[in-house]
Amino acid sequence: MRRAAIGALAAVVVSAPWLVAALVPRQQRYVLHVLIFTALFAALALSYDLVVGHVGSLSLAHPAFFGVGAYTAALLATRAGWPFLGALIGAALAAGVVAALVGVPLFRLTEHAFAVGTLGLALVASVVANNWVEVTRGPLCITEIPKPVLGVPGGPALAITTLPGHYWLALGALAAVVLLYRGLTTFRLGRAFHAVRDNEPLAGAAGIDPLKYRLLAFTIAATVAGGVGALYVHYLSVMCPEEMTVALTVNLLVIVFLGGVGSLRGVLVGAVLFTALPEVLRLAPTWRLVIYGTLLLLVVVRSPEGLESLLRRAAR
Amino acid sequence: MTLISDLLEQLLHGLTLGAMYAMVAAGLALMLGVARLINFAHGEFFMLGAYAFWLGYSELGLPYPIAALLAPAVMVIFGIVYQHTVIRAILPRSWHVQLIATLATSIVLTNLAIIVLGTQPKEVPTTLSARILEVGGFRIAWQRLLVLVAALVIFWGLDRFVARTRTGRAMRAMSQNREACAVVGVDVQRVTLVTFALSAGLAAVAATLVSPLFNIFPDMGTVLTLKAFAAVVAGGFGYVNGAIAASFLIGITEALAGSYISYAYKDAIAFVIMIAVLLWRPQGLFGRRIGI
Amino acid sequence: MALLEVHGLVKHFIGVTAVDGVDLAVERGELVSLIGPNGSGKTTLFNCVTGYLAADAGRVLFRGRDVTNAAPHRVARLGVARTFQQVSVFPRLSALENLLVFLQQHQEERLLSRLLRTRRLRRLEAEAVERAHRLLELVGLSGKADAGAGTLSYGQRKLLAFAAALMPDPELLLLDEPAAAVNPTMINQMKEHILRLHGQGKTVVLVEHNMDVVMDISQRVVVLDHGQKIAEGSPQTIRRDARVIEAYFGR
Repeated sequence: MRRAAIGALAAVVVSAPWLVAALVPRQQRYVLHVLIFTALFAALALSYDLVVGHVGSLSLAHPAFFGVGAYTAALLATRAGWPFLGALIGAALAAGVVAALVGVPLFRLTEHAFAVGTLGLALVASVVANNWVEVTRGPLCITEIPKPVLGVPGGPALAITTLPGHYWLALGALAAVVLLYRGLTTFRLGRAFHAVRDNEPLAGAAGIDPLKYRLLAFTIAATVAGGVGALYVHYLSVMCPEEMTVALTVNLLVIVFLGGVGSLRGVLVGAVLFTALPEVLRLAPTWRLVIYGTLLLLVVVRSPEGLESLLRRAAR
Repeated sequence: MTLISDLLEQLLHGLTLGAMYAMVAAGLALMLGVARLINFAHGEFFMLGAYAFWLGYSELGLPYPIAALLAPAVMVIFGIVYQHTVIRAILPRSWHVQLIATLATSIVLTNLAIIVLGTQPKEVPTTLSARILEVGGFRIAWQRLLVLVAALVIFWGLDRFVARTRTGRAMRAMSQNREACAVVGVDVQRVTLVTFALSAGLAAVAATLVSPLFNIFPDMGTVLTLKAFAAVVAGGFGYVNGAIAASFLIGITEALAGSYISYAYKDAIAFVIMIAVLLWRPQGLFGRRIGI
Repeated sequence: MALLEVHGLVKHFIGVTAVDGVDLAVERGELVSLIGPNGSGKTTLFNCVTGYLAADAGRVLFRGRDVTNAAPHRVARLGVARTFQQVSVFPRLSALENLLVFLQQHQEERLLSRLLRTRRLRRLEAEAVERAHRLLELVGLSGKADAGAGTLSYGQRKLLAFAAALMPDPELLLLDEPAAAVNPTMINQMKEHILRLHGQGKTVVLVEHNMDVVMDISQRVVVLDHGQKIAEGSPQTIRRDARVIEAYFGR
């Protein structure tokens, strides 16, 4: 029965552009735009959940990796003329390398210092994005990023120029991230991550090197975040420093903690709720943050595991 | 001659900046040391204190001393409300919960401030900030001297308070061994409340002193919190004197680097210092001391 | 060469020296008990040997290899298993998964093959699961294989932690108070398990307060007081040792 339900859901999700065209023809562009954003945010949130939910490290540096990926892709596409796939890979690698480099010293710190350190990293990245005008153009933003073209140079190519095209690209990326997420959080690797999260000293006694696994999750998560950044800039054609502020961290925290830390379903539900809903309600960014903040506060205090566990408790 | 006087000016600016950071960071370190509380909304005490001062001085036209006392008073009341609502709920929880809850509070307060007060920066020039002292070629606003002197007085007072009074001793005891304190009859709740009020008051006083010198805008608390945390972490988590020392280091470096290297990146300086310190000594400049 | 050698180990804390120059040698196949009044440094010694605390002076050798201040996971991988005084499990994993975690290091696989579950991986996993089931049966927790470890009773968690320590087939077992805070039936169970391990040629070092257990099963007893070794010998010798009696009762 569940298989059928998932199949039906998948069918709906994949055929969304046609459904949207049929149901709300006048709002098509807007609705599809929201859906694309939701898919990208869901992928980003899943990557964040790897670090926060599965390995238990409260990193606040995700905007930095998203930003590194986004700017790298933007620069590779505009200044170096790289094709989309090249820019995507370059972006993901850049973010991953940065994560690996800062992760080594960061993970030697106590948990609290780690959190503050990651927050500082996010701030430094933000300051650099705003001020390194020669490269990032600062507040003027990098513009005219070309539309993505899938394919190898010299071979067949598929240009993504329509909104449905962007949607399916984002959806494909999300599917890939979901598969990666599942592979990383189940069986032996998942058990190792969870062991480090739930009882680090005991994990050590079991022969698991906590530093190695935290760094692994951190780096993979950053790589995915960088990739999402690349997709993001190729969709919007623009990259500005405002996209990588602390507000992004709050967004992610809300999605993960209200959706359900460490749960695939929870994070996906959270992403849909907290990306689509504010758009639907046409909330101004300031009000959206006030509401998010209050919700986050309430939920985190009452039920740190998020809605998922609340729902589980209700189901009993 | 002007090079030296320039340098001295920047040093004094740095000391002023450091004093401000130190007052904010000291409050943060106190809460960490005594109550083990991570408060990411700490910078908002500063921000709201600054706006309260602006309200009193610019909008209501109160004389400087009254307005200067009004702001901390308002913030202490606000702090008590905040303590009873949010802090009490998160104090027994894990620090993850504390961090996220207070980060959320910070976002709510900042954005409410944007909605209610607007993003246009406010200015609160006072007579002291306008009047300049000229000594042998270099110039410094009287207000900056006031900040330095006030900071010294406050730190001396804080030191006496912690060393001599019963509450101060209780604070030190709690920072060393909370469980034992409850057993021997220390009123943990009350001491925590006092520490929190002190912490909020320190931030608000810093805001009152410094508001005439800088612009006031809703976002100012966020960056300040981060820098204060950088100082706390670099100084040795929860060690008040360490946080103060690190704050002055950050303030001076920021002023000098901002003036001689690059103004744009000065906000990142605090973190570069923190990261450099942590790379050299992961336990902070003064190590994991017991007590505050 | 003894299996485990400790030479002049020193560990200071602020205001107290917990371990004050302890020498210890444990031969292969021995069953040794480490006893002493509260605060004599027994668990601290364990923690220094297994890498959870950094020793201030001295050396620790396992199989002749210097493991002083090595990280806990390195010590574990060399074949040293330990249990904790405060019973330690992974509460959010099932009992079975708790055991499977302990077999990680012996079956390191490449990341890619982990992601794409190759046949070899599946076979290794199946073997691990089988071994885990056998150990669960050994400690009488078969019925709880899929229960969350956090839902088990204290005694059950203790047995689980014990079984987990056995998963990687360690050469040396360091058990921290295996007989503490459990009912007499379980104490007897523990004694049987430890004796069986001894019979299989494993080396076991216990920290214990329960004198009946110590006297009953130990080959050799080492006594610590105020961080120093004050006596060492067979249970009978120790029982009559004046210094030991004074350490325990002369206060």
